[in-house]
Amino acid sequence: MSKLSRAAFLLPFMALLLVGCGSGDRDALDSAALEERRAKAIAAMERHYATQPSLPPDLREAFERGEVTEDEIDAMAAAGELEPFFVFATPDDLPDDLVWEDGSDLPEFASPDAKKGGTWYTAVQDYPRTLRRVGPDANSSFRPFILDTVVMGFGQRHPEDISIVDGNFRYFPGIAEAWSEDKETRTVYVRINPAARWSDGQRITADDLMFMFYFYQSEWISAPWSNNFYSRNYVRAVRYDDLTFSVTLPEAKPDMLGRVLNLEPLPAHFFDEFGPDFVDRYQWRFVPTSGAYVVRDEDVRRGRSIALTRNPDWWAKDLPFWRYRFNYDRVHFSVIRDTAKHFESFRAGEVDGFGLNLPDYYYDRLPDDDDLVARGLIAKYTFYNERPRPTFGFWMNSSRPLLDNRDIRKGIHYASNWERVLREYFRGDYTRMRTTSDGYGEFTHPEIRARDFDVDKALEAFARAGFTERDSEGVLVNDRGQRLAFTLTTGYENLQDILTIMQREALQAGLLFRVEVLDGTAAWKKVQEKQHDIQFVAFNVGPEMYPRFWETYHSVNAYDRAFLADGSPNPDRRPKAQTNNLQLIANRELDALIERYRASESAEEMRALAFEMEEILYEDASFVPGFVMPFYRTAAWRWARWPEHFDVRISGNPLEYWLGWIEPGMREQVLAARRSGERFEPIIEVHDRYRPE
Amino acid sequence: MRLNPLTLRKLKRFREIRRGYFSFLILIGLLGLSAVSELIINDRALAVRYQGEWSFPTYGPVELGSVYGLEGTDGRRPVDYRRLKEHFDAAGAGDRVIMPLIPWGPYYNDAVGGILRAEAPNFERGHYLGTDTTGRDILARLVYGFRTAMLFALAFTALTYLIGVAIGCAMGYFGGLFDLLFQRVIEIWSNVPFLYMVIIIFSVIPATFSVGARIGILLAIMVLFSWTGLTYYMRTATYKEKSRDYAAAAQVLGAGTSRIIFRHILPNTVATMVTFVPFTVVGAITAITALDFLGFGLPPPTPSIGEMLKQGTANLTTAPWIVSSAFAALVVILLLVTFIGEAVREAFDPRQFTLYK
Repeated sequence: MSKLSRAAFLLPFMALLLVGCGSGDRDALDSAALEERRAKAIAAMERHYATQPSLPPDLREAFERGEVTEDEIDAMAAAGELEPFFVFATPDDLPDDLVWEDGSDLPEFASPDAKKGGTWYTAVQDYPRTLRRVGPDANSSFRPFILDTVVMGFGQRHPEDISIVDGNFRYFPGIAEAWSEDKETRTVYVRINPAARWSDGQRITADDLMFMFYFYQSEWISAPWSNNFYSRNYVRAVRYDDLTFSVTLPEAKPDMLGRVLNLEPLPAHFFDEFGPDFVDRYQWRFVPTSGAYVVRDEDVRRGRSIALTRNPDWWAKDLPFWRYRFNYDRVHFSVIRDTAKHFESFRAGEVDGFGLNLPDYYYDRLPDDDDLVARGLIAKYTFYNERPRPTFGFWMNSSRPLLDNRDIRKGIHYASNWERVLREYFRGDYTRMRTTSDGYGEFTHPEIRARDFDVDKALEAFARAGFTERDSEGVLVNDRGQRLAFTLTTGYENLQDILTIMQREALQAGLLFRVEVLDGTAAWKKVQEKQHDIQFVAFNVGPEMYPRFWETYHSVNAYDRAFLADGSPNPDRRPKAQTNNLQLIANRELDALIERYRASESAEEMRALAFEMEEILYEDASFVPGFVMPFYRTAAWRWARWPEHFDVRISGNPLEYWLGWIEPGMREQVLAARRSGERFEPIIEVHDRYRPE
Repeated sequence: MRLNPLTLRKLKRFREIRRGYFSFLILIGLLGLSAVSELIINDRALAVRYQGEWSFPTYGPVELGSVYGLEGTDGRRPVDYRRLKEHFDAAGAGDRVIMPLIPWGPYYNDAVGGILRAEAPNFERGHYLGTDTTGRDILARLVYGFRTAMLFALAFTALTYLIGVAIGCAMGYFGGLFDLLFQRVIEIWSNVPFLYMVIIIFSVIPATFSVGARIGILLAIMVLFSWTGLTYYMRTATYKEKSRDYAAAAQVLGAGTSRIIFRHILPNTVATMVTFVPFTVVGAITAITALDFLGFGLPPPTPSIGEMLKQGTANLTTAPWIVSSAFAALVVILLLVTFIGEAVREAFDPRQFTLYK
């Protein structure tokens, strides 16, 4: 929508570069160039503020379907038919009747016993390829440490109290001091805490919020997902004064508050050179943060290590909900690519903690009677948590021959022996996934249970589909000579044992899985192009209030033109690539429910719809629910301490909420004890407050 | 068949080199045993006596439980002969199941103590080398893996020789433009990185192909990229022999091209070529092991030494028996082949003594 303005921006910029090359007095010119560049950046920003229209949802969907062109939208905007996205108002424009909330009735969850200090040593598998938070390569395993778990939003979901009040989760304040929600106008008003500061000392203001929208809507960041997310899920941002703003959403979905409070403003002053070369220019610049940890230039030793340093002047260090957290003075990351090597570094005391989620690590490689554990030098913790679960299971491509038959799909359900895998391979630690969306609290269907392994029921189902005879290898064949054989693909090399076990078990029911183990990228490509028969894969899901159905089950994500005008399946339809509908489900009834679910603004109704859809999906039987890990497990050296309750309910790992600390002087003491043979009381803790019954 | 006295002398000399000769006998013995490994290491019964009738299920089609009077679900699924044996023994009706010496198949997941994990060698249960991480018998997987690797290596050797010798010989004999062109082709072809090609090509083969077909394709790809090495030797050997007087004499006597090549030149180059055979075999075993180790070889759960090495290195501290079994097996095979190779080379060397100047 701003092609012209970008070209206008580029031309003088390139001219400037040419002039710069021939200059004798470089410094003066460089600083002049920089000044000019900053002026351009501000001009571009202001142009965006002035021209960016707010698209109503139906218009946006029409645009996505290609029914409306970009030019037409530009024309509509120029004609003033569209509301602006960015509005600069005055404090007088604020509604008078706002009821401000600040979540102050919520309990704090960190331990007052926590002590500041020390260095936490840990490792990452790959060195981060950039310090940018968006754009190419930014979504790395290091990102949580400069963004997700460290940066403060305006507010944050309370990680212990997961109740839903008035259609929202409970939020405690971060950068915001108070907020107010108006469901009628689908708007959330926010007042920023006047004490809020960036790590470089500058104030955090409503301008940073406005800039954030501009930044994420800009094509210069090379992040289409963000471009889409920040222009489709929000329709207006209004600045009232330095510390007050409001954001309006296209629909008043449940947890509307979260959609605004979870936003993280960006320091506009830092991005004063924002331009088309953003990706390269900001590659290794650490963005000033509202959070406790900064990355100092001298700690970036590329390819080898990187470290977070606690900002001693962090503005929120005594703020309720934020105090007693982020206790380590430094967090040091070295690069260890190999898991086995990582584990050995941990045993050697070079790394402070190690994840023990896999049973063989928990039971065999670091058993309770291991010398270091028995002597109390290394502690083992199991923490049961409660959060949406990754969807590990078999995703069947129902557009494939034979798999398009529901009886065969049901038979595959009964022939998949997850029970044995859970009992004998995962040693009873993991539990069976029940539905397609487990862990969403009251949005998860309470009664549906996945079909259990049952050879008889599987044979019956296959017989209904015409598979009654077995060939010489024991695989079922039908009277046309087709074998009941499917390719079972996965990109999880470390979980391939599961598939080989399941393969042997499925043969009991005359079903042959041809196991195919690809590398992660190739497997993902295969399933995105819908080339799979059956894929063993999982979507990772965030701690959202309710599951998403449109992405995975709506027919527009299954086929191009799934149905003809009269509602019958289109005989020429082709699977649609690059969508998350891996099962190729195209069901008119389900589509209608999904559309109602998407448009619904009532949690009650959405829940009922979610249950109904879940039941349809159960009958459709193209997803075999796999397993759920109801906890996380970790080991740590004895000097690491945690609160009495260890971690919070929705936490997925010990560095997500930063509740731990290092006991002063303990590291030396423990390392000395390791040499001298001294013993401590062993620490093997299981925190099962949130264990499902 | 009457052998050339020269060849007989070479064979005699080979027998006299005891290390190589015994290695040869051992390897042949192992190959022979592995050809019938279904009868020795298997989870299917050798013989079953049911209601007075004997049956021999080893090589037959998969049998369902109903064949032996099992009822309910057990009657409708493939027989687990070990459980059938327990069932017959408990019933005491005179029915019998005779299991092979080592009653484990390469795919059977045996949950010792109800848990699937790597178990140390356990003589009582019959896991003489222990089990791998999903409770499969290591000895069984080694034996079946060895068989696949050896068959693969032999087929590979035969095919590369067929192509390499044919083209090399043609280049040496015809010379001229043909030789010039083919040399360039080979130079280019041999610079294609073989391992990457295998990985790339193998990654696009659809998984619907059976294991046999996949092995065939792997073989074809490897042969396609491996025959070039031989042509150099063959070409030189042919050049040398062709310029000898006896070749010229044969030509003068009116012998045709094919007669000269097959009756005169080829038999005289055999000595050179045969010495490379064992090393080609070693190369093929190493290559397929490496591919399996990297995860680009045979599809899981096909037993293979490379896959076992990979598992072993990942479980070095907790299950050292996996890697030590696989490693020992690999070392033994490669040593045997190398010993044979040395002996063959020595036996076929026309000079008994070599003087270096």
